[in-house]
This record gives sequence, C-alpha cells and structure tokens, in this order.
Amino acid sequence: MDREQLALLKEVMALDFKALELQLYLDTHPNDQRALRDHNLACQEAKAAKENYQRCYGPFMPCEATGFPWQWISDPWPWEICYE
Amino acid sequence: MYEVSQNLRLARAYVPFQIYNQSWEPLEGLMRGTIFPELYFPYRKREY
Repeated sequence: MDREQLALLKEVMALDFKALELQLYLDTHPNDQRALRDHNLACQEAKAAKENYQRCYGPFMPCEATGFPWQWISDPWPWEICYE
Repeated sequence: MYEVSQNLRLARAYVPFQIYNQSWEPLEGLMRGTIFPELYFPYRKREY
C-alpha cells in the first residue's frame, strides 16, 4: 500500500473514530448542540472521505457496486497493512 | 487510614458530568484512543 493510499485510509479511520466518539458522548448529552453539529459534520466528512478512497482503491465493504474484475479481494487485508 | 477530601462521602460513586468544549484533531484522537483531552489517561510503562 503506497503512502497516498495509506493517508486516505487513515483519514477515513480518523473521521469514523471522531464520529463514534461524538456518538457516545451524545448518548449521554443529547441536548449538546455543539457536539451534535460536530457529529453531523464528522459523519459527512467520513462519508466523503470513504467515497474519495473508494473511487481510487476499491470498496471498503463488500456490499458496494464495484468495477470489473471483482475488487473486494484486490486490497490488502487490514492485518496485512503496515500502518506506520 | 483514608483521607477525607473535597467533602465526598465514603462508599458513594461519583461520575462528574463531562462538558464538551475541546477536542483533538481526528488523527491525533485516533492515535491517543480518545478525541477528548479530558478523558486521556494513558497507562505508563512500568518494570516488574
């Protein structure tokens, strides 16, 4: 996996993590407007980052329309990636 | 012996209410395990 692909992958992971953190916070603070706004923004950004990644490198999840040939098996698996 | 501090009663559990007013950038949060600086308590390496 080249540096550019790894950077896009990390961006997706980081934005998903931010959205998850704010989701957990909102479970106990449902009336926090700032957290809600930041959560919604993080979700949008994560979605855009995923679409950006998928355009170049294939699907994140198997249930995505892919190009030919079947792309799901062309990525390295998560445990094969060097994240450093 | 125990120390009585901050007028807290014994045998009561307290969870202060978190207030969201700061957060780390997403990638820094991912590496630290939380985006909330107030929840960052890393374990220190210790020799046994």
